[in-house]
Amino acid sequence: MSQEAIGRERWVVGAELPAVAKTLSQEKIDRYARASGDFNPIHVDAAFAAQTPFGGTIAHGMLLLAYLSEMLTAAFGQAWLSGGRLKVRFKGAARPGDVVTARGRVERAKDERRVCSVECLNQQHRVLITGEAEVRVV
Amino acid sequence: MNRAIEALEKGHQFSATSFVLDEEAVARYVEAVEDEALPRLAQAEGKAWVPPMAVAALALRSLMEEMVLPAGAIHVSQELEFVRAVEAGERITCRAWLSHRSQRGGWWVLAVEMEGAGESGQPVLAGRSTVMVPQ
Repeated sequence: MSQEAIGRERWVVGAELPAVAKTLSQEKIDRYARASGDFNPIHVDAAFAAQTPFGGTIAHGMLLLAYLSEMLTAAFGQAWLSGGRLKVRFKGAARPGDVVTARGRVERAKDERRVCSVECLNQQHRVLITGEAEVRVV
Repeated sequence: MNRAIEALEKGHQFSATSFVLDEEAVARYVEAVEDEALPRLAQAEGKAWVPPMAVAALALRSLMEEMVLPAGAIHVSQELEFVRAVEAGERITCRAWLSHRSQRGGWWVLAVEMEGAGESGQPVLAGRSTVMVPQ
């Protein structure tokens, strides 16, 4: 059986993507700020963040998207890097100490296209990010 | 010039920006996001692939050279299309424009669309970011 056929057979409607779980810390948020160049004080300045409605620092939304991207890379490989699409809404903030889980499921299939529901949850199962990813299974 | 995003008119074209993610920068990013999948894929394919979300993050970051998101701004939604994989060392040039600007319940709702292209001009990613800014 070809690799293409294996990919199409594996990612049938209802298949769960391999979940990714990460424990956040302020050190990790700071490291992401340095790697991305995003030093918005809501992420890295505890005194500033304490005065905002969040009451403390929160992780970058793009850091959580990186967790979704890791899951999609593990599931679909090159098909995610070349032709992957993502459409998400940010629903809640992740804070230092939170355990963030990225998970997804194949919801629709048409020919080689797969549409997956994706989300990031915290340890209390609160939805932080929700949306859809689309890839062409190869 | 660095301007408040809510002061910009719909259709405003941001100045083109460009950046390079070299292997060192990619390694820093992969370590920061603890991505275990991308290095495995890169090793299997013998390519120095850049995580697609790193390209998106740097593209968004480059926009911040020209605009200011005030304290209280909320990143509401994000759409991304990764047209082709990017290798470490490639120069990416981004164009962006303000595609939506409206008011709703004491907030500005603003959308910025962007496109990133490689050195040949071939697209590598496209995206749309929606933010809400308190009035």
